[in-house]
Amino acid sequence: MTERKIPAIGIPRAMLYYRYGALWDHFLQTLGVSCILSPPGSRGILETGTRLAPDESCLSLKMFIGHVETLIGRCDRIFIPRYSNFGYTELFCTRYEALYDQARNIFRSTGQRFITCNIDAQNSSPEAKAFEQFGAELGFTARESRKAWREASNALEQRKKAEERAQKELADRPGLKVLIAGHSYILSDPYLGKPILDYLGAAGAIALRADALDPETARKACARFSPTCRWVVSEEIVGGVQLWKDRADGIILVSAFPCGPDSMTNELLIRRTRGIPVLPLVLDTQSGMAGVETRIESFLDIIRFQKGEMV
Amino acid sequence: MKQQRKAALPRYGEYNCALKYIVEQGFEAQCVLPPPLSKRTLDLGAVNSPDLVCTPFKTLLGSMIEALENGADTIIMVPGACRLNYFAELQEQILRDLGYTFDFINLSLYNTGKMRDILRALKALNPRCSMVKAGKAFYEASQMVEHLDDTTSLYYRNCGFDPTGTYPKIYKKFIADMYAARSLAEIRTAYRTANDAFTDIPLKKPQDPIRIGIIGDYYTVMDPFSNLELEQKLADMGVEVHRLMNITNDMLRNSEKNKQVKIREFSEYSMGASSTADIWQAQNFAERGFDGLIQVKSACCMPETDIMPVLANLSQDYKIPVLYLTYDSQTSDVGLMTRLEAFYDMVEMRKKVAR
Repeated sequence: MTERKIPAIGIPRAMLYYRYGALWDHFLQTLGVSCILSPPGSRGILETGTRLAPDESCLSLKMFIGHVETLIGRCDRIFIPRYSNFGYTELFCTRYEALYDQARNIFRSTGQRFITCNIDAQNSSPEAKAFEQFGAELGFTARESRKAWREASNALEQRKKAEERAQKELADRPGLKVLIAGHSYILSDPYLGKPILDYLGAAGAIALRADALDPETARKACARFSPTCRWVVSEEIVGGVQLWKDRADGIILVSAFPCGPDSMTNELLIRRTRGIPVLPLVLDTQSGMAGVETRIESFLDIIRFQKGEMV
Repeated sequence: MKQQRKAALPRYGEYNCALKYIVEQGFEAQCVLPPPLSKRTLDLGAVNSPDLVCTPFKTLLGSMIEALENGADTIIMVPGACRLNYFAELQEQILRDLGYTFDFINLSLYNTGKMRDILRALKALNPRCSMVKAGKAFYEASQMVEHLDDTTSLYYRNCGFDPTGTYPKIYKKFIADMYAARSLAEIRTAYRTANDAFTDIPLKKPQDPIRIGIIGDYYTVMDPFSNLELEQKLADMGVEVHRLMNITNDMLRNSEKNKQVKIREFSEYSMGASSTADIWQAQNFAERGFDGLIQVKSACCMPETDIMPVLANLSQDYKIPVLYLTYDSQTSDVGLMTRLEAFYDMVEMRKKVAR
């Protein structure tokens, strides 16, 4: 077998990484590509991102650009997939569509090379084909890429199922339960979302996550609740809220300032959800934890008061 | 038998004349025009909307409320490529929560890419409508839109150089004629009359006037109320104002793929909604040697924010100044005027040096 030159790929640990990271990692590992992952999110990374990204863009994008910056010059190419749509009614926020080209423009002067995987079923590039193309760009045959993608998709599916199982166990436990609804790249980020989950744990509440659910089931539930919601990611969150909310005592809607889809889906959730307390929580670059903690604390007090546990 | 519907669409620049034409000529329903957009409209919308949604959502919601106050019993809302596609569902919920009773035709529900659903959408407005009649009305309305856009761009290109001051009068008359038109013949006559009147006026235009190109998001850039009459303000300073972003160029005579190929150096793939058109237009203005570019966007507009780094690079490559304007529900005339004057002075100075 001939030796092929395999470039080192850098992956920013932000945005859709928290959702599809298992898929990308597995895909690249199966093919034997060496990868570098950017360090976990931190205040420093967010500050860098805030400096480089357009002022008005969302917190998550600023975090993402910060992560890209940490990889500049440390790898041959930085991998920024472009998730546009899985079909006419399965869309992604335009921000994920723009990520690749936006990063290319922001870091143009550094000479860094980027690589993408263009998932755009409306323009005849569905997921399977997109990964084939991505593999070809890295120098692999269509057959190798297809096999790696299938294995990676299975791995992602298994992981999702494991998450759901774990959460079902959690939901069966006694105690005060709060359903957290938000994008995985906010909730799983060690700097943005983790402090919230930690605080809930310390306060004696069990945090359930709306997105720990089989995506298809969640999307069907969302279609019943809000028929014209077409963002795949938001659909899963909204659907997850519908399916988990009966197991919880309160809902916290965590969103990043100024998230486009959240600004609307969360409003609809608040307007159409009855009989359970809802706390909308918007995170921004100013976020010291004190303000957030106060709000969660009083929210938990309200729930306990309603349940008659506090007199 | 159900009474004739009193349908209303929220205000969108002057395009309501074409929307009215379709509703009345194609579907034999009555069309209620909401009052012209005002501070009250925006306030009504902003108070009842989520904070972080973009400004057009608030303006459109305010306009819907005013339409209901004016006696409409049916609200029609269009679909779109960005958040716009979700506007309708949330707006309906907000209006219902406010206690209004009305029929809501949410065209996003039918926006599934299937022909069957498009036909269902037409039937939703009037179950007994004739497809031939509807098709004819759509065609004639598209002609109206083309005439409207042509006349509007001619107006803003030249009205800054009209010594007689009759340009605005002709334009106003033309707009009124468009709202009153009931047939294609009337549309064409009004268009020709306005154009003849414009050509009859001798312009005092310098050999090489200051030319500024305007790009921006689908709603704010096309709606004079939303952009605080930016084009008129520039024209009054003696600028030749060019705006390619309109329905004609972006829907009726568009080739998105060709544009994407031409701008691939800056953006390999579409960055969502209006971005491809915007970048292409910016590049087009720059290549034609324009003196400045203005990007008009509403606060929190996603695609327009995403293309800002692209515009920055484009500005560097072509040596063209760019002014980024963000409009929210609190933007005031005064602040805008200061920024425009400063931009104008800078552009004018650069031009003198270049000469």
